[in-house]
Amino acid sequence: MKTVKQSYYWWNKWTGYSILILLLVATPLFTIFFKLFDKPGGSWEHIANNLLFGYFQNTIFLLIGVAVLTFLLGVSTAWLVSNYEFPGRRYFEWLLILPLGFPGYIMAYTYVGILDYTGPIQVFLRNNFDIQVKGSLIDIMNLPGAIFILSITLFPYVFLITRSSFLQQSKTLQEASFLLGANRFTTFFKVALPMARPAIVAGIALAAMEVLNDYGTVKYFGVNTFTTGIFRAWFSMGDASTAIYLAAILMVFVFVILYLESIQRGNRQYSSSNGSQKPTARVHPSIGKKLLYSAICLTIFLLSFLFPFLQLLNWVSMTYHKVVNQDFFLLIYRSFGLAAVTGFSIVVFSVILLYALRLSPFKWVKNITKVATLGYAIPGAVIAVGVMIPFIALDKWIYSNLITSQTAGLFFSGTLFALVFAYIVRFMAVGYNPVEAGFQKIGIHVNEASRLLGVRSTKTLWKIDLPLIKTSLVSGIILVFVDVLKELPLTLILRPFNYQTLATKAFDMATNEMIAESANAALIIILTGIIPIIFLNRLIRKREL
Amino acid sequence: MSILSLQQVNKKYNQAIDFAINDVSFEVEEGEILALVGESGSGKTTLLRLIAGLEHPDSGIISLSGQKIVEGKRSVPAHERQVGMVFQDYALFPHLTILDNIKFGLKGSNQEVERVAKDTLRLVGLKEDYTKYPHQLSGGQQQRVALARAIAPNPKILLMDEPFSNLDAMLKDQIREEIRQIIKKTGITAIFVTHDTKDALSTADRIAILHKGFLQQIDIPKVLYENPVNPYVANFFGKRNEMEAIPTEDGYHTTFGFISDSEAKKHKNKVKLLFRPEHGEVVQRDGQQLSGKIVKISYFGSHQMVKLADDEGKRVTIRTNPGRSFEGMDRAQFFLWKYDVEEAY
Repeated sequence: MKTVKQSYYWWNKWTGYSILILLLVATPLFTIFFKLFDKPGGSWEHIANNLLFGYFQNTIFLLIGVAVLTFLLGVSTAWLVSNYEFPGRRYFEWLLILPLGFPGYIMAYTYVGILDYTGPIQVFLRNNFDIQVKGSLIDIMNLPGAIFILSITLFPYVFLITRSSFLQQSKTLQEASFLLGANRFTTFFKVALPMARPAIVAGIALAAMEVLNDYGTVKYFGVNTFTTGIFRAWFSMGDASTAIYLAAILMVFVFVILYLESIQRGNRQYSSSNGSQKPTARVHPSIGKKLLYSAICLTIFLLSFLFPFLQLLNWVSMTYHKVVNQDFFLLIYRSFGLAAVTGFSIVVFSVILLYALRLSPFKWVKNITKVATLGYAIPGAVIAVGVMIPFIALDKWIYSNLITSQTAGLFFSGTLFALVFAYIVRFMAVGYNPVEAGFQKIGIHVNEASRLLGVRSTKTLWKIDLPLIKTSLVSGIILVFVDVLKELPLTLILRPFNYQTLATKAFDMATNEMIAESANAALIIILTGIIPIIFLNRLIRKREL
Repeated sequence: MSILSLQQVNKKYNQAIDFAINDVSFEVEEGEILALVGESGSGKTTLLRLIAGLEHPDSGIISLSGQKIVEGKRSVPAHERQVGMVFQDYALFPHLTILDNIKFGLKGSNQEVERVAKDTLRLVGLKEDYTKYPHQLSGGQQQRVALARAIAPNPKILLMDEPFSNLDAMLKDQIREEIRQIIKKTGITAIFVTHDTKDALSTADRIAILHKGFLQQIDIPKVLYENPVNPYVANFFGKRNEMEAIPTEDGYHTTFGFISDSEAKKHKNKVKLLFRPEHGEVVQRDGQQLSGKIVKISYFGSHQMVKLADDEGKRVTIRTNPGRSFEGMDRAQFFLWKYDVEEAY
């Protein structure tokens, strides 16, 4: 037995590791913060005078537009599927989540293709009715178009969270409202909707974060936002400090959204934990209404998933023989490799952070994990800039101090290491949350029991905790995997020269008038993305039973 | 010889204003069973976890078999303390069989480990198939496994957190006795936490009562029950009756009648007479002329409780044997054979 003189209770190697992880993961944030105090770059004045107002305007309109549209789409469908019985209701519950598998940029150019001169609608009109349309049927390559595209890919966030909130609302509350003389309509506006408000706002906030993160859609549609501004400053003007200024302004948007979300949530707990957990029994409306509800859900599903998905399949059938070759498989191999390495690393880091918290449940350890998972809120372009700058500085230092020959390559900047590191910063929370849920589910007592039986913390982790949270670890890896596969802006900035992933390849092809060819890579991204969506729905449905 | 000693142990949770554990000191003798009792939030479980090394005090010293395991901010980690613990939810490892659960904490050759594990399972009286998994067992059986797992490595002290709270009433009395016997057979020192005074009185050698993080009294059950140091401890083991009384030269005048007592002259002011229901009897006896109106009689099988009221409506409860009949009676006379006197103001 060690004597007391040797060990401080608050220190163990796990808290040590988690401080290390924090230092690593928070580097990009600190970089942006400290670089703000530098002088702005040469192009800052130009951007501030000519472009900044436009960035501001577009970003704000985009946010408001997407918030309103995702609210309408998400809340209406969530209310229908959780309160009424109508044909297809059971299927719409998960079909309406599928659009999440569509990255915005793929949705964008698929829609452009659908509405194009050679697209199915115009071909149909020409062949059957001899109607000629000049140019595109509807011009969606503008701000309203971007709002539409982003909304149909992001409304499932609102749908998912709101639906589970509706399902958790106790049956007796709505029954009480009916007995007090309110009909379904008034009950919805006076009871169900106010109670679901925290959930709805949380869903919209998630969608808003994704809007700020988006680069592909707005770039493709020529809508200039802060994200495209960062790209322009970085790539076209080579002006890092201006990029940082723009990144910092973008971060202000992020924190405003986070702040608004948290104050509206306040300390209120709307989900009644006591009483019946049974969801309200679904109502059978009249035949006419049933068909109307089915039609609403079907239309939204067709527009947000099936039509674009069929279009992609069509393109794939036309072009796969040209595209699917050795290079294409190399692309898959690389993308999957990157995603797997990132998923695995994030889950390992999450386990370390959470295990430190488990052994030492102190406030400062809790704060470390909070900061380490902040990346989900930070747009990919901002993280990319924050990763790039210290890595470039590190490379410069290595060259000036350690190496004399000029032939050696770069060590950090422009390497896969930098890319994976940035993915880890960005998607930490995605893998962290399922692991945290897993630890919570098994409770602390099994761990404590093992340690009291004389087994060290490390061995306890291997023999008790990890075997018990296996499924959580796997789902953490899968969720990160899918997100990395879809990721575009960060990958575009940080990838090594000429290095392509499925996402960048699809985007490059699409922007170079090879939309049909790009569908092959897009289809793989979407199909991979659908797996965890179905998985996620299972989890919610279990709660429903 | 004392095996465990706590000296001025203090513990405060992060944002709480009050201390969870407040300047607690006591010692536990080798081989004894100590019960830590208190209401929820009294700090009893925290105290247990401090001894186990699962929580850390802000200050104070804890020693186990002569070695300091906690001194201020320094502390021996839980896995090196050789402390056994039975959790309230048993915390059996769900992915291991019963036998592997027991073997988990054992060291030595395979043969040796296997032998000790099986011996311990026999000791706790588990006759199930040892290759079953915890979820296949009943609550009572799971508890035996948890106990076996905790005592198999021969710990210096055994800690149990609410060991009887998950058992139903029928099973509880039997298991309580069995566990006491198993512990006594192994000669292990044990501390258990409970909120149930019946558990404590029937199982423990000594009882420590905690209230708001302060240790109130630690002693053998009889002393706690009969000579509580303060009203909190007294009321903890069941409600006491209160009777206002005016002392005179030769006794007390109460609203229920007169009690002759030569001690009464020591008091000048109004006093309160405190007594438990079983410290009275519904009979008349010399020296006391107490009577009250019968308000309610509750039958409990093993005894009856009789509620009596004075003229002002104040009530006392007296315990009586179950066979007694009060039919046709309006009033009853009673007698107190033991009571405490407390200055009322």
